[in-house]
Amino acid sequence: MSEHIVSSYEGQLKTLHSTVLKMGALCESQFSNSIIALVKKDEELIDKIIGKDERIDELEKKVDDQVVNLITLRQPMAIDLRETVSAMRIAAELERIGDLAKNIVKRVKYIKVDLNNEDFSLIKTASELVQNNLKKTLDSYSKKDEQLALSVWNSDKEIDVIINKLLEDFLSNLKKTLDSYSKKDEQLALSVWNSDKEIDVIINKLLEDFLSNMKKEKKNIESLTHLLFVAKNIERIGDHSTNICEYVYFLIKGEEIKGNRPKG
Amino acid sequence: MNNREKEIFLRKRYSAEKRFRFFGISSIIIALSFLCILLINIFTNGLSAFSRTEILLKINFNEKKLGINSSSTDKEIKQANFDEVLQEALLSLAPNAPELKQAELIDLVSIDATIELKKFYLKNKDVLNKTAEVALTLSDDIDQVHKGNFPRDIPEDRRRFSDFQLKIYDEQNSKNKIISEFNWPFIFNADSREPEIAGVGASLMGSFFTLIVCLLLSFPLGILAAIYLEEFAPKNKITEIIEVNVNNLAAVPSIVFGLLGLGVFLNYFYLPRSTPLVGGLVLALMTLPRIIIPCRAALKAVPPSIREGALALGASKVQTVMHNVVPLAMPGTLSGTIIGLSQALGETAPLLLIGMVAFINVVPSTPFDPSSVLPVQVYLWSESAERGFVEKTSATIIILIFFLAFMNSFAIYLRNKFEKKWS
Amino acid sequence: MKNQKIKISTKNLNVFYGAKQALFDVNLELEEKKVTALIGPSGCGKSTYIRCLNRMNDVIDICKVEGSIKIDGQEINKKDVDVNLLREKVGMVFQKPNPFPKSIYDNIAYGPRIHGLADNKDDLDRIVESSLKKAALWDEVKDRLNQPGTGLSGGQQQRLCIARTISINPEVILMDEPCSALDPIATAKIEELIDELKKTYTIVIVTHSMSQAARVSQNTGFFHLGKILEFNLTEKIFKNPDNKLTQDYITGRFG
Repeated sequence: MSEHIVSSYEGQLKTLHSTVLKMGALCESQFSNSIIALVKKDEELIDKIIGKDERIDELEKKVDDQVVNLITLRQPMAIDLRETVSAMRIAAELERIGDLAKNIVKRVKYIKVDLNNEDFSLIKTASELVQNNLKKTLDSYSKKDEQLALSVWNSDKEIDVIINKLLEDFLSNLKKTLDSYSKKDEQLALSVWNSDKEIDVIINKLLEDFLSNMKKEKKNIESLTHLLFVAKNIERIGDHSTNICEYVYFLIKGEEIKGNRPKG
Repeated sequence: MNNREKEIFLRKRYSAEKRFRFFGISSIIIALSFLCILLINIFTNGLSAFSRTEILLKINFNEKKLGINSSSTDKEIKQANFDEVLQEALLSLAPNAPELKQAELIDLVSIDATIELKKFYLKNKDVLNKTAEVALTLSDDIDQVHKGNFPRDIPEDRRRFSDFQLKIYDEQNSKNKIISEFNWPFIFNADSREPEIAGVGASLMGSFFTLIVCLLLSFPLGILAAIYLEEFAPKNKITEIIEVNVNNLAAVPSIVFGLLGLGVFLNYFYLPRSTPLVGGLVLALMTLPRIIIPCRAALKAVPPSIREGALALGASKVQTVMHNVVPLAMPGTLSGTIIGLSQALGETAPLLLIGMVAFINVVPSTPFDPSSVLPVQVYLWSESAERGFVEKTSATIIILIFFLAFMNSFAIYLRNKFEKKWS
Repeated sequence: MKNQKIKISTKNLNVFYGAKQALFDVNLELEEKKVTALIGPSGCGKSTYIRCLNRMNDVIDICKVEGSIKIDGQEINKKDVDVNLLREKVGMVFQKPNPFPKSIYDNIAYGPRIHGLADNKDDLDRIVESSLKKAALWDEVKDRLNQPGTGLSGGQQQRLCIARTISINPEVILMDEPCSALDPIATAKIEELIDELKKTYTIVIVTHSMSQAARVSQNTGFFHLGKILEFNLTEKIFKNPDNKLTQDYITGRFG
C-alpha cells in the first residue's frame, strides 16, 4: 500500500503499531516466564514478573493516548480508522493477558506439587499451545496477515479441548482425593435423603468433615485448586489471543469473521 | 552574498526606484505645465471677450425726428428713424467737428447701435420726448482700445482708428461715460462681420443639435451592436472580420467620414447640407466604434459567474444579458460614450466637408436649419483679420472647454450613480 | 438502496471538450430526496458531471454531451427539451457565491418573475419570505431587503444564492463545492441547511472535503479520471471501500 502524502501521519500510525507490538512482546515473555516460574518455582523470576506488569499497564495507557491523538488530529478514514480502533482494542486484550500472567505467578507459592511429574504434563502442553497461539497472533498483527489470524482463531478449539481435559483430570483427581472421605458418609447422605431428613444440616456436616479432612491433605488440595485457577488463566489467555485475532481480521478485511467462534 | 555586497545591491535597487519615480513625476509635471501654459494662454486671450465696451450717450427721443407718437405700434416703432436721433447724439459729442471727422464720430458706435436703441425704446416708451442716457455698444476698434489691446503709439495711418476718435474716447472716458458690461450677446448672438456683435449663439446651438443627433443615433446602435457581438454572435470567421473592422474604424481619420457624408448623405440622399442633421449623422458614424469598443470591454469584464447564476435559474440568454450583464457594464459603457461624444464635440474636419463652414448669421432653431459648430467657429474666426476676433476665438475655446467639462462631470455623476446602485 | 425511488439516472454518459474526453461511460442512479456526494481529485470530472444534469454544459461551445440523462424517467439530453424549464426544475448553487447586483428582494424575486410564478406583489412577497426562511436567512435580512445582495457576508451570500435557487420550487438542487469559499461556521450553517433541505429536495453535492461528504451525504460516488470508480452508501465508502484507489484517495495516500 502506498504511503500517506503527509509523512508525519504515516509516522504516527507506524508508532502506534510498534507500541502495540512492544506491548505484545512483553506480554508474550511475561506469559512464557510465568510458566517457567511455575515449573521451576523460581522466586526471583516471580518478583521480576510481578514488577514488569506495571510496564504493560504503562504501555496500554500510551496506546490509548496515541489513539485519541490520532482521532483528534488526523480524523482517520477507512483502513486508518480501523487500524486506530483495533490498536486500542488489542492493547486492552494484551493488558488482560499481562494481568493473567501475573495472577499465575502469584499462585506459584501455593502450588507445592512437582509439575515435572507426568500427571501434570497437560499443563505444560496447554501452556505451550497457548504461547504458540499468542506468538502467531502477534505475528499476524505485525505482518497484517489475516489468514494467519484466521487460522489461530480456528485453532482456539484445540486449546479448549486440552484445557477441558486438564480440568477434567484435575477434578477427577480432586474427586479421588475427596472420595475416600465422602464414601463413608455417602450412604448416610443417601439414607438421609431417602428418609427426607433435613438435608442442609447433613450437607453442612458433610462439608465440615470435608474441610477438616481436606486440611489434613491440605498440601495436595490447595495445590490442585490453585492449579485449577492457573489452568483457567491459561485458557483465558488463549481466549484473549483469539479476540486479538478477530480484531486483526477486522482491521485488514473490514468485516467480522463469519461464523460462530469454535468452542471446544 | 555577504553583507557588504547585499548593501550595495540594495542601494542600487533603491536608487533605480527613485529614478523611476523621478521620471514619472517629471513627466506629469511637464504634461501639466504644457496644459497650464495652454490654459493660461487661452484664458488671458479670451476672457476679455466676455466683456463689451459701451458708451453712455444722452439721446433725445424727439417725437418729430423719430416720426412716431405715444400711440404708435411696435411695428411702426421698428421702422422709426432712430438713425437720425443717434447721429444727433453722437455729433453732439464734438459739436465743432468738421465734416470729415463727423463720419468718424458715427463710426464710433457699432452698427447694431440703432437696433439697440430701438430695443431700449420698446422697453421704455416713456422716454418719448425726453432725454435719456442709453448704453450703446462701441465699435470693435474702440472696444479693443478700451481693453488695451491696441498700442497707442503706432502712427495713425497704421491704425484702424484715428487720433480724433481716440481723443473723443479719452474725453468720454474721463467723464466716466465709457463702461464695460458682461458680454451676453457674445453667447446669444449669431456670427457677424462685425466683431463687437458677433456671438457663438449659432455655433453653440449647432453643436448642441449635432451632438443630440449623434447621441441619439450612436448610443443605442453602438450598445446593441456591442451586446450582439459580445454575447450572441457565434464565434466564426464572419464575426472575426466584423470585429477587426470595428476596431479599425476607430482609427480611421475623421475627414474620411466627412467625405462619406458628402458623397452619400448630401449627394445621394440629398439631405440638407450644413445642418446638424447631417453633421450628427457623420459624427455618429465616427462615434459608433468609439462606443462599441468600450462597451464590449465592459461586457467582457462582467464576471461569468453572473451569467451562470442567471442561466442556472432558467433565464434565457436575452434575459440574462439584458437584466443582469448590461447594468453591470453600464459604468464602463458610459465612460466610453462620453469620451466618444467629447471627441465628436471637438471634430472639425468632417464637418467642414459637409458644409458647416458657412457663415451663419441666424441662430438655428431645429436640427434642420443650417448651422455651424463651435470648433468650426473657432477656425473661421481665427482666420479673420480684425483684432476683435482674436479674443473671441479664444473665448469660444473657453466655452468649448466648459461644455466639455460639463459633459464629463455629468458622465462622472452618471457613472457614480450606476456604480453605487450595483455595488 | 434498491427500494428507493431513482430521481436522476445517467447511462453511458460521455462528455468531450473538443477532442479531449472528460467523462467516460458514467452510469449512475441518484436517489430521490437523498444527498449524494461526488468526490474525487481535481479535474476528475465531478463538476462536468453535475453540469450535465442541468444542461449548463450547453453554455460551453466546444463541449459535447453524449449518452442518456433521465430525470424522473424523462430524457433531457435531446434537442427539443426546453432548457429553461429544465433549469426551473434543477437548480444550481456555485462555488463562489454569485448574488445578482440587485437588492436582496430582487435577487430572490428574479426567478419567480421570469418564470411567472407570482400573480401579484403579495404572492411575490410571500415567495421571497418563504425562500429566505427555508434558507435560514430570513431573520438576518428581513429588515434590509432593499439593500444590495452583494453587501452580505460570504456565508450569507451563499445562503442567499440557495434561497434564490429554491424560490422557483425546483425538485433537484445541484451544489458545486458550495462551501469552499466559506469559513467553518458558515460551512456548518450550510451543512445544517442541507440536512433540512434533503427532506424536500434531491441534492447532489460536489465537494473536495472528504469530511464534508462523510457528514452530509447518504450516498457517495468516487470519480477518478472521468470514470466513476465506486458508488455506494457513504458509510461503506468511508469505513471500508471496495476499490483500492478510493481508499487511497480518502486516506490521503494520493491526490
